[in-house]
Amino acid sequence: MYKTKVIAGVEIGTGKVTVLLGEIVEGRSLNVIGLGQSSSGGVVKGRIVDFHEASDCVHAAILAAENQAGVKIDGVYLAMSGAHIDGFLSEASVNITGPERRVTREEMDQVVSMAQNREMEDSRTVIHHLRRPFRLDGRSVSSPVTMQGEKLESSYWTIHGDAATVSDAIHVVNGFNLHVDDIILSSLATASAVATDEEKKNGCMVVDIGRGTTDYALFQDSHCLFAGSLPLGGDHISNDLSIGLRMRLKQAESLKIRYGSAIIEHRDKSEKVWQNNDFEIGDRQIPVWSIERIIELRTQEIFEVVRKKLGALYNPDRLAGGIIISGGSSRLRNIDKCAEGVLGIRARIGDNSLIATGELKDAQYSTALGLLQYGLQYQSEKELAESRSGGLFGKLKELFQKD
Amino acid sequence: MSELDFNRIEEEGDGSGVRMKVIGVGGAGTNMVDRLMLSNPDDIYLSVVNTDQQALSNSPVLDKRCIGKKVTGGLGAGGEREVGIEAAESDRALLESMVEDVDLLFITAGLGGGTGTGVAPVIADIATKAGVVVISFVTMPFTIERAGRANVAKVGLEKLRDVCSAVIPLPNDLLIQESAADASLLDAFAQADAWIEKAIKSIWTMMVKTGMVNLDFSQLRQAFAKKAGKTLFGLGEGKGEDAVDDAIESLKLCPLLHTPEFSKKAEHLLVNIVGGVGLGMASVQRIMDSVTDEFGKDANVVMGAVVDEGLGDTVEICVIGTSDVSGVSMFQPAAAKRATAPAKKLFEEEPVKPEQKKKARKTHDKKVKVEQHEFSFNEGDPKGEFENSEGTIFEGQDLDTPTFLRKGVKIAL
Repeated sequence: MYKTKVIAGVEIGTGKVTVLLGEIVEGRSLNVIGLGQSSSGGVVKGRIVDFHEASDCVHAAILAAENQAGVKIDGVYLAMSGAHIDGFLSEASVNITGPERRVTREEMDQVVSMAQNREMEDSRTVIHHLRRPFRLDGRSVSSPVTMQGEKLESSYWTIHGDAATVSDAIHVVNGFNLHVDDIILSSLATASAVATDEEKKNGCMVVDIGRGTTDYALFQDSHCLFAGSLPLGGDHISNDLSIGLRMRLKQAESLKIRYGSAIIEHRDKSEKVWQNNDFEIGDRQIPVWSIERIIELRTQEIFEVVRKKLGALYNPDRLAGGIIISGGSSRLRNIDKCAEGVLGIRARIGDNSLIATGELKDAQYSTALGLLQYGLQYQSEKELAESRSGGLFGKLKELFQKD
Repeated sequence: MSELDFNRIEEEGDGSGVRMKVIGVGGAGTNMVDRLMLSNPDDIYLSVVNTDQQALSNSPVLDKRCIGKKVTGGLGAGGEREVGIEAAESDRALLESMVEDVDLLFITAGLGGGTGTGVAPVIADIATKAGVVVISFVTMPFTIERAGRANVAKVGLEKLRDVCSAVIPLPNDLLIQESAADASLLDAFAQADAWIEKAIKSIWTMMVKTGMVNLDFSQLRQAFAKKAGKTLFGLGEGKGEDAVDDAIESLKLCPLLHTPEFSKKAEHLLVNIVGGVGLGMASVQRIMDSVTDEFGKDANVVMGAVVDEGLGDTVEICVIGTSDVSGVSMFQPAAAKRATAPAKKLFEEEPVKPEQKKKARKTHDKKVKVEQHEFSFNEGDPKGEFENSEGTIFEGQDLDTPTFLRKGVKIAL
């Protein structure tokens, strides 16, 4: 008999905390049964700086979701983001020695564990090992076992984070007597909600621009090759406006929402809009050009920095799927055109219509929905693994091996 | 080069008893003092200090000091901060003599090079230890200059903040914003000098002219009794019929108040208002209300208002604010005794009612006490988030600073 399990996808963002509850039935289908949100506090640039304040906000959101669904949570999937995230590439190879030079399962396991075994400082903790396709005598292969060759190579992009920061986030959830089943990099969670299998196969980038962070992931041949997080986001746009136009952050934010555009639409510098538009004394007129110029420069820079972070992996010819923009700042007008201008690839605004309907299609739920997707896969894999005497690579690695 | 018979600070004739001096350090600092001299030759003692003999000889300022000859041979610090520090240390006695008999010292320097970055903190340190109130105006290099320069400047700024009562950084990035579209770089620098000049003049006016609301040196000292941290500094000016409203509005728009380098709220606020004969008590009150509202935390506001007949219908506002960062008093107890001396002298010179005198003394005593303050910059602060968080350094630039400032793109207002 299979018991239904209730899992929660928890995203502790700089702007808000989003919690989605999913019910996994029979280990293979997922129903979203609860939603809780609260405005975030104690989080700066994706990092928890005030434990108590952050705890209160997360607990409020979890409680709201639980109340809505009327059930208790069995396990939590937690999104991870922030400047402390870093990564490195590690590679290993083995010579195939068998009489027929066919790759055995043991040899594959060996090369995998060699690649994953790189030493790390105590202050860092591994979040994901993203496996890139195996290479057998230089050919890219997805499943080398029983194939013939001389040398099998394996490479991983290992994503690691600051151990203290990661454990802080886990403790926030533990403080509510909940168990964290797994932590998942935000951009990977988002990608699993907004990018289609075809896009991932053709090569695509997912860029989630939130309030405090920009999380990005790059896919080629259905594998995630690179993922990371930048401490840049919508707050930087508002902050630039507030400094450039000399107003309070709130006013700048409101201007951004009302008139913001990531490319310049108004070339005439004499065209102006009211700052507050409340007909009160102290209101003043701001050239639309200035608003757009400040936003354009910042947004372009965010995409440029992402491109630089990707380094040689960024190759427009291998990104036919284009860039999918998600997160709160994806609501900024023309941000897709701005991305196209900087990166030279097709851009679209992501939503969750792949896996959700109605309200949940909104981009603000992408990461939490992606977390639930992960949870579902993990649960069904666990079942599979139990029946098959142990998974090969462990859960996370498996997730990127979809054909 | 003749070592002129410069350093004689004569007993000044303005009667205030407050001895003010401006020292320009390094090339950029010297330029600022030069310009100050063109517009204001008599009022304040001007000196310049450099490690480069050649550069010094071009300055019209009378009191010029070439330091560190043993270290640099009078050829400049070559952009090395360490050389600047070494030069200053080697001529410490000379620098000490420069700040003798000074109550209020302004230091101007450009940070990012050798002399300004290295020497200015040494002078400030010497002066502060001698009980002088030190206010520094420093320019910060363009972001587009090589990154090393910006880092050197940052170090220098921190060092200065440790030893000054107030440090006012003027980022060059910002100067571009303020200059006309077709202005040259020199015009932009002239803008910085104009700001510094206005600020120094404003404080000078406050000290030496008798105003509607009088502000004396002891109050100034009180406001600057603690270590600088981030200083709030702004200027506003209005003219014509709505001069007061215009001045308030222009103060709020003052670009210096909208950079990451500045604090938005301050615990100690010094407001000086200078206006023409039309400046009435009601206007002063209005300005004070809106300034306190805008910039004060539960501020300890010190105000001065002066009528200057020469100003016509112009109103100028100058705001300087400091916040207690560490709760550590600027003046060491040993120095403090000396520190109060000039102020006492001030009271003796002016006919002061006994109870007022007592009050003034009391505030002095308070200053020496070490008060512990919990301090956070980002309460209600628009830039609080980034001001307080560690920077986002990428390719040598701090990405938290607005992109348009770093790229030198001028934004129309």
